[in-house]
Amino acid sequence: MIRNYLKVALKVLARRKFFTFISLFGICVTLVVLMVATAMLDHLVSPHPPEVRGDRTLGIYLMAMTGERSTVSAFAGYKFLDTYIRPMAELPFVESVAVLSLPDTVVSFVDGRRLELDLKRTDGEFWRVLRFDFLEGGPFTAEDDKNARFVAVINESTRRRYFGGGPAVGKTIEADGQRFKVVGVVKDVPALRLVPYADIWVPFGTMAASTTMMGGELAFKGELVGNNFGLIVARSRADFPQIKAEVAMRFKEAEKDIPDPEQFNQLRGGAETQFEALSRLLLSQRVEESRPNRLLAVLLALAVTFMLLPTVNLVNLNLSRILDRASEIGVRKAFGASSWTLVGQFIVENVVLTLVGAAAGLIVAIATLSAINASGIIPYAQLGLNLRVFLSALGFALFFGLLSGVYPAWRMSRLHPAKALRGRSV
Amino acid sequence: MTRHLLKLVWNRKRTNALIILEIFFSFLVVFVVGTLGLWLLDNYRRPLGFSYDNVWNVAIDMRQTGDDTFTADQVATFKRILDEVQTLAPVEAAAGSMALPYSLASYNSSRDFDGRQIGYQVSEVTRDLDKVLRLDVSAGRWFEEADEALAWQPVVINARLAREVFGDEDPVGKTFIDDLRVVGVVSEFRRNGELAPPGNFLFHLKRVGHPEHRPAPNLLVRVQPGTSAAFEEVLVKRLQGVARGWSFEIKPLMEMRRTSFRTFLTPLAAAGIVSLFLLLMVGLGLIGVLWQNLLQRTREIGLRRATGASRRSVHSQVITEQLILTTLGVLAGALLVAQIPVLDLIGFINDRIFIGGLVFAMASIYLLSLLCALYPSALAARVQPAEALRYE
Repeated sequence: MIRNYLKVALKVLARRKFFTFISLFGICVTLVVLMVATAMLDHLVSPHPPEVRGDRTLGIYLMAMTGERSTVSAFAGYKFLDTYIRPMAELPFVESVAVLSLPDTVVSFVDGRRLELDLKRTDGEFWRVLRFDFLEGGPFTAEDDKNARFVAVINESTRRRYFGGGPAVGKTIEADGQRFKVVGVVKDVPALRLVPYADIWVPFGTMAASTTMMGGELAFKGELVGNNFGLIVARSRADFPQIKAEVAMRFKEAEKDIPDPEQFNQLRGGAETQFEALSRLLLSQRVEESRPNRLLAVLLALAVTFMLLPTVNLVNLNLSRILDRASEIGVRKAFGASSWTLVGQFIVENVVLTLVGAAAGLIVAIATLSAINASGIIPYAQLGLNLRVFLSALGFALFFGLLSGVYPAWRMSRLHPAKALRGRSV
Repeated sequence: MTRHLLKLVWNRKRTNALIILEIFFSFLVVFVVGTLGLWLLDNYRRPLGFSYDNVWNVAIDMRQTGDDTFTADQVATFKRILDEVQTLAPVEAAAGSMALPYSLASYNSSRDFDGRQIGYQVSEVTRDLDKVLRLDVSAGRWFEEADEALAWQPVVINARLAREVFGDEDPVGKTFIDDLRVVGVVSEFRRNGELAPPGNFLFHLKRVGHPEHRPAPNLLVRVQPGTSAAFEEVLVKRLQGVARGWSFEIKPLMEMRRTSFRTFLTPLAAAGIVSLFLLLMVGLGLIGVLWQNLLQRTREIGLRRATGASRRSVHSQVITEQLILTTLGVLAGALLVAQIPVLDLIGFINDRIFIGGLVFAMASIYLLSLLCALYPSALAARVQPAEALRYE
């Protein structure tokens, strides 16, 4: 039955080429926009290589210290991560814990040219949690971090800009007044992936020499709230609730370390996925609430709103198209086809049309994304279509096909057989 | 004639309702993008109030994390930096500033003036900022050396803020709030740049070397025209020599301006490209639908031709019908968007921009609709009476 429908559908498409073209054009444009938007969102919140364990990772991203009257909102502080989160690696359901700083722009000069580099400080575990593609050399280790060795991993672009592209391992690079020995070179990572991204990665320990001392203690080492992320890799996703509960407890515990309890009395934040972190950033005033479901609902509502105009356009075209086939419908009705059969047939036809449009859209979307990558609007962007984006595009296409097929199908099924046979208007 | 056409439109109300709906949605899309574009254009055309070329910003990182404290040592170091910079030959003027032109970060304040809440951006600046940014002082005077010893706080405000707070009175010499007293007015200062909407602004005087005045995080430097980028390195090295352990990042304002433009224009460009494609889609769709509808009305048109109607009158019938549909769709759209000024939904859209957006959207939609009707109506007008009457 379905095979028959498909045959008819393709025949109909081939018959009125102009109509088919404009329908496909509309479908294609609609889906390309949705696919590009989805790819960008995916790029922002889903794990990509080198975050090979991203789907099993929870992060401590946003954090706030609050009191009666004031709030400091930022990211996780080094002291908090070091004292309370790092020991979680011992727990049976935790595979590993890594600590890293947000990229910070530093300046260095090469032959009188100014180079801006994004510098990230990490611990040794970072290189085991994330699997970078090394072009030469290798990562630095926990040992290097502990002993504050001045070693660095740089990315491909930095190697090209700083050393002119030749091998860099063993050479010295200057960043922010410090000199590092290059131990490894990795492929570029997109700038929107805040967890892995940097131009140059150096051990946390090297911060020592460049930071002002506060009472003999390094300032950054005393921070509960600061400029860092913590990553907790679970043994499996099933352990997420357990990890979240454990982290929430440790937040409470850390409140006793707040330096001025007069002013601040609460630490807020928690372990979460990147999508949860984004939902909290966009939709929630309070730090401890994340609303991934609501963000998803908002995004879907936006997608549907965007589809309204294309839908009306396609409904219009579909309705005109039915007229073409009035006599076919008349014959089928006269021979006893029920309205439901006809509705089903037309919806199948429309979904086929949408999928053909989606296939064309896929090609255009890939081209658009690589154009965006090449334009350099987003530094080192590697936008592309992966399975997640492809599946959501398929979902959009099916939904769009149904949305724009239902009303014309209903109108078609109501056609009076006698009138239809005479070829009169709908 | 029009009444008759309205009747024809009414007779095919189901098909026409969908066309009207499509035009309605298209109108909304064009209105939103057009209004956004006009808003940016309107902002761009207003005076900026400062000059950005040959000005560099040196971002100063005192290497301290977190809280709000600063030491006497840091205050002294900042004074040394400011003095040092001014000794360099290519530097024409230099000043410290809290807020930075074209940056996204802002410092806002809001105070109650006789029951009216007035918001404004603030910056603490050192004495020579007027020379660095070439500010235009329109009343009173800019800060001068003697101001650093005053017992009260001298401030300079922009003309917009002066008008809002003091109305038509002369603001110079008046108390702003508390112990802040206005010493001068600059004609304009739009820190956020050309594309951002103009706002209120207030300059505080930052006293260099004063123990209670935090060292400025930015040092704005006017260099002589033609100073090369090589001087950036010289400047950084000199500063690092004076302030051991601090770090400095130089960026010409020109570059920050480019970034700011990109921030404002990228969303507009993306929305513009998407809506162009949507309009193309709508246009093609309308051509298809009109064509199909007219094909269906071949007999009607044939009959008209047979009874003596000229090609031209068939032509004008089709186009008038299309314009009626367009008018209905555009009216519905206009009624909806009229709620924006009526309910004062979006504050920044003033009447001029709103009407501009409305006219732009109307003109584009009528044009689109007319273009789409031309080809199908030409086809319809070509119908031969004899052939049309045979048509089944």
